[in-house]
Amino acid sequence: MSKTAPSIERKRQKTGMAFITPTLLIITAILVYPILQSVVLSFGESSIDGSVPYKFVGFKHYFALLQTERFWNALTVTVIFTAISIPLELILGIGLALLLNEHFRFKGIARLAVLFPWALPTALNTLMWRWMYNTDYGVFNAVALQSGLADRPINWLGDDVLAMGAMVTVAVWKTSSFMALIILAGLQSIPRDLYEAGRMDGMSRWQEFREITLPLLKGPILVALIVRSMDALRTFELPFNLTDGGPVTATESLSLYAYKVIFDFVEFNFGAAIVVVQFLVIFAMSLIYIFTLRNKD
Amino acid sequence: MQLRPRFGLYALVTVSVLVSFLPIIWLILTSLKTTAGIYAWPPQYIPDPFTLDNYINIIQNSPELLIYVWNSFVVGFGTTVFTLVFGSMAGYALSRLGMRRAGILMIFILAVSMFPPVSLIPSLFQNFLQFGLLNTYIGLIIAHTGLFLPFAVWMLASYFATLPVEIEEAARMDGMGTFRIFRSIVIPLSWPGFVATGLIVFIFSWNEFPLALVLMTENAMRTAPVGISLYPGEYAFPWETISTATVIAIIPILMITAIFQKQIVGGLTAGASK
Repeated sequence: MSKTAPSIERKRQKTGMAFITPTLLIITAILVYPILQSVVLSFGESSIDGSVPYKFVGFKHYFALLQTERFWNALTVTVIFTAISIPLELILGIGLALLLNEHFRFKGIARLAVLFPWALPTALNTLMWRWMYNTDYGVFNAVALQSGLADRPINWLGDDVLAMGAMVTVAVWKTSSFMALIILAGLQSIPRDLYEAGRMDGMSRWQEFREITLPLLKGPILVALIVRSMDALRTFELPFNLTDGGPVTATESLSLYAYKVIFDFVEFNFGAAIVVVQFLVIFAMSLIYIFTLRNKD
Repeated sequence: MQLRPRFGLYALVTVSVLVSFLPIIWLILTSLKTTAGIYAWPPQYIPDPFTLDNYINIIQNSPELLIYVWNSFVVGFGTTVFTLVFGSMAGYALSRLGMRRAGILMIFILAVSMFPPVSLIPSLFQNFLQFGLLNTYIGLIIAHTGLFLPFAVWMLASYFATLPVEIEEAARMDGMGTFRIFRSIVIPLSWPGFVATGLIVFIFSWNEFPLALVLMTENAMRTAPVGISLYPGEYAFPWETISTATVIAIIPILMITAIFQKQIVGGLTAGASK
């Protein structure tokens, strides 16, 4: 670069700007500007179709939010859902990755099977599970009744705890595979001779795992954890399709609550305040993510 | 490696594969049953009789379910094209043109990619309404392009960074401009990167739910995941139709993942570990 004449260098910078401008424009219009606008909306009164002129009301909606039990419920549901499903996904993900790292026949099919739940739309995955959970005609109750494990049909989605369990199950089923794929890539980059050295020292398989594998997987595991946590914190179509947040509000996530406030209760500005709070929570997570990545290099 | 008995390994693999496929298999079996078979007791684990009536029924009586799938195709295809065109240009500029502040821009793009879609909804809905973009293909395509461009920029930038720089330097010596180098040298050399990125973006767009739900309010414009989810309306869920429509809507994704498994896994893991 040092040999290029200044005029060529300047021309190159200009071409670079031209190349990147469409992307910056679209990202600004679809991601950056809407967030800022949501912030503005959350501090005012207006209407979704613009028929009511905007009036600034300060922190009114935020104060109201703090006193709304349903908001705290949605926040709690979201945090519980995230806190239960992520560790399960991590354990299963590591297990699956270790399994797929072994040598066996039909490995292609096994890897494909693991990829499918991730690749399919969450909304439709959820419908499949809802059908299996069906009280009267679902396969779970069919097996439970026929095998004598239950003497009457279980209302899987009609009980607070069972419904949350059902939701976690679908999330874990879908995304353990994503965790597994990222961790598998990390596994495959561990040099083989480390294990040979370990074997020389008479390490057991468990010791190998604890002292060689796990420390070297710290990076990929961290990435998978943070990406998935942010995903879980914004979960929407899963409760939307599985339970619609029910029974009552036992599985109503923050995203689902915000959607209902905006479109069902038509409290547009109050809804904006909810999404701003949610944005701040997730953005804080993403900052942690970016800083851990930078420190890794 | 031979310490553990092979039997245990195969048993574990079999269980994992079964658990992964079980809901999909059950769905396909349901779609092949008669209505009486679906609601029968004792439950039918194998359809008796096998029937394709549900599929024929959808084609004859519920063409809107096929229109949802078509809408998903249009939106997914448009999003993929836009994302690849703009994403490759930006990725090339950021990885190869020695731009000032390229590092900061990459971090900025990564940061905005983590915005939760629901927090965009109040503003996007209002603006799309105002500009007449609700219920248009181009509207949802632009929205999806915005959502998935950051991913494409990162993936393509890291792909371009693996190309040997000498080829471009030689072309520059020959007096080729940046745009021509990009078009006639870089793009042809990078098609594996384009394929992987394009496939993943297509899957992302096909699966995206919150924005597709909010920005397409007319039934005829809905994408497959949204249309099928909202299909039943007020009363009971017609599972024979829902299961069949779901099978139709996931077939394209099943085929793409089966055929391009390697590219997708490679792209995903590269994207996540960057």
